[in-house]
Amino acid sequence: MSDATTEPIVGWRLWHVRRHEDAYRLESFTWHHVSWPARRRFEARCSTHGGAAPVQGHECGIYAFTTRQLAEDLLRRYTGVRQHYGRRNNELPPLRLGCPIALGRVSLWGRVVARENGFRAQYAYPYELFLIGGDDDLARELRCLYAVDVSAG
Amino acid sequence: MDIGAPETEREIEVTPQEEPVPTPAPAENPAEDPVPA
Repeated sequence: MSDATTEPIVGWRLWHVRRHEDAYRLESFTWHHVSWPARRRFEARCSTHGGAAPVQGHECGIYAFTTRQLAEDLLRRYTGVRQHYGRRNNELPPLRLGCPIALGRVSLWGRVVARENGFRAQYAYPYELFLIGGDDDLARELRCLYAVDVSAG
Repeated sequence: MDIGAPETEREIEVTPQEEPVPTPAPAENPAEDPVPA
């Protein structure tokens, strides 16, 4: 028995921002070279379950956290710095030059499997992006491509 | 991405009335024909 709702779930996640031939695109944070399409939903695929992802008891689906804090914690672990970087505990670590990352909210819908700290979803699309290590020009480019709010940090 | 223990899983069926994917704004028609008469 599953719950049902008509409102998309909004979670938090990270993306790499990489150039693909003619334009920058959002890329999965954990799966290299899996880019998120612009102006259409990103659909979960599983090597075992195909388009049935996410499946309960498995690890497939499009991931997002319940809070911004959890996504920022992942970023701190990714950059290899201690949990409380900088003078203030909420300061984010520096990134390698030319390797921008997007932190943002993401809409999730279809079949969604919820756990205590996040979600695995069937469909997703970015809702709002905050660039880390990117400038205003890159923010403008992503804003035009994905048609969502993007701000440079 | 560690989203928590599998034992805490519950399934939610999310069926939005409109998919939350932006669509291009329709082109606006000019108020007047720009071609001189």
